[in-house]
Amino acid sequence: MNKDYIIEQLKSQIAGFEAETKTEKVGTVMEIGDGVARISGLTDVMASEMLEFPNGEFGVALNLEEERVGAMVLGGYDDIKEGDQVKSTGKILSVPVSDNFIGRVINPLGLPIDGKGDIKADEFYPIEKIAPGVITRKSVHQPVQTGIKAIDAMIPVGRGQRELIIGDRQTGKTAIAVDTILNQKGQDMICIYVAIGQKESKVARIVGELTERGAMEYTTVVVAGASDPAALSYIAPYAGCALGEYFMDKGKDVLIVYDDLSRHAWAYRQISLILRRPPGREAYPGDVFYVHSRLLERSAKLNEKFGGGSITALPIIETQAGDVSAYIPTNVISITDGQIYLEADLFYKGIRPALNVGISVSRVGSSAQIKAMKKVAGKLRLDIAQFRELEAFAQFGSDLDDATKQKIERGKRTVEILKQGQYEPMAVENQVAILYAVTNGFTDDVEVSKVRDWEKDFHKYLKSSKKDVLELIAAKKELSDDVVAALEGAIKEFKEVYQSEK
Amino acid sequence: MKYTATQYAKTLYEITNGRSEQETKEDVSGFLRLLVKNGDMKLKDAIMKRFGEIYDAKNGIIEAEVISREKLDEAAADRLIGFIKNKYGAKEVVIKNRIDEEIKGGIIIKVGDELMDGSVARQLAKLRNELIA
Repeated sequence: MNKDYIIEQLKSQIAGFEAETKTEKVGTVMEIGDGVARISGLTDVMASEMLEFPNGEFGVALNLEEERVGAMVLGGYDDIKEGDQVKSTGKILSVPVSDNFIGRVINPLGLPIDGKGDIKADEFYPIEKIAPGVITRKSVHQPVQTGIKAIDAMIPVGRGQRELIIGDRQTGKTAIAVDTILNQKGQDMICIYVAIGQKESKVARIVGELTERGAMEYTTVVVAGASDPAALSYIAPYAGCALGEYFMDKGKDVLIVYDDLSRHAWAYRQISLILRRPPGREAYPGDVFYVHSRLLERSAKLNEKFGGGSITALPIIETQAGDVSAYIPTNVISITDGQIYLEADLFYKGIRPALNVGISVSRVGSSAQIKAMKKVAGKLRLDIAQFRELEAFAQFGSDLDDATKQKIERGKRTVEILKQGQYEPMAVENQVAILYAVTNGFTDDVEVSKVRDWEKDFHKYLKSSKKDVLELIAAKKELSDDVVAALEGAIKEFKEVYQSEK
Repeated sequence: MKYTATQYAKTLYEITNGRSEQETKEDVSGFLRLLVKNGDMKLKDAIMKRFGEIYDAKNGIIEAEVISREKLDEAAADRLIGFIKNKYGAKEVVIKNRIDEEIKGGIIIKVGDELMDGSVARQLAKLRNELIA
């Protein structure tokens, strides 16, 4: 490019610049504080319309009252003062959407915060949108493979489902969500991780992990940090969902993690109280249920006529001291299609992921499991349930008949097999193989403390010598006679090798 | 029952509309007694402001704030009054001229909540945005 070309461009742009003036609606700031402004004037302003403050920040009109408008400021409000002029923009709050957002870290307004330059986007999606209607939907029928044995087997998640992850602090809620994102590699899934009010250090660690393991190639991270204004925390999940809807409308499958919705409720509570909306239970405003239900309802599986895309949501809720009957947890439990309970006790016992299998459920997922998994999972669930019952009972007496003993031993091994490290998601064919082995008693003669080593070696062996068996399971997706025969053969062969090595 | 400043202002307009000077005096003192009785004297400033707005609106009077870099001369003011009368269909236009060096040139017209920004400062800002994008 030479200098004349640039000058020519500049000239033509300036010539094409129209200095037209049009009438704008303005208002005056009467009061400002804590991220909420009260503005007089602004006739004809719409609910959730974007407003422009003189310092260049945007705001959103939330309360439309007789004499004034209550608005939250999406950004810094230090240099906004009384008497400032506020312009209405005539636009409902929207965020830019485009394919270019994949692999980026953005704030809830769609601006990049990863220092990798501007993101080009031609389209805007409103952050609030009515969820897809009945006619456009299809029942959930494809699995989302989380790569976590316990979840894929017993609490399966389908594409278009909303599965809540709930538990106390430090029980591995985020770890499950991040592992799920990591396992979507090559599964034709776009992931969006929405961090709401999280510590920036935690977000940086997650982004680092996702980058290192190649998961940023299909992931967008939306961040409203702990130091950002509550208004940004409040709009973050809606902005993430708007981006997800853009991909869903293109027929893609999307996975969104909202980490976490308790903080989102806090942010909304703060804004509502400062706007002087009446507080209700736990000081949350009356519409806090709708805040979450309208967000999660936007997750859907569309039918072929509407492109067949889907949004799967994994909302996270942090409970205080295991209290799931608090206001926000009960709300979100009732909205979602099932929940994954994580318990601190199990976590400290060394059962990680610290899933409470007894009360975790998935209300739609089993129709989304592959047949092979359904078959082994049914047996697994039964084994675990019997084990739990007998375990409590067996503590009282030592005289147990052989059948009971055998069930308890099997149960101990099953629990061991369901343990899984962080960042170690497992392919579904491997899961089927190991779960088949444990439910059919192939691990009964392995010492409980050695079961995890045994499992590791087993997967290694399958990978190196029996790839054809794994491929067979992956291709057939069911445990037909020939698959069972091949699998059992592989397991027996491995046991011989394992025995002789010892 | 509490009344808002707007309701008071509307009432005041309605009772004083078309009355003679003497009658208005009595109406106003009656209105003030009502305010005291209702304990709403604190609203007096808001009521006065709203009354002014209602009166202007009913009588087709428009108050326009014009911000310019230098004081408007007669001819320019007349042209502006004509323009505003036309745009809002008003019978009478009162111009309040405010001087602001910051706008660099051009004028800004403000009528109620509506703003027409024809200042050089804004156009420069717009040009800047256009060139950046």
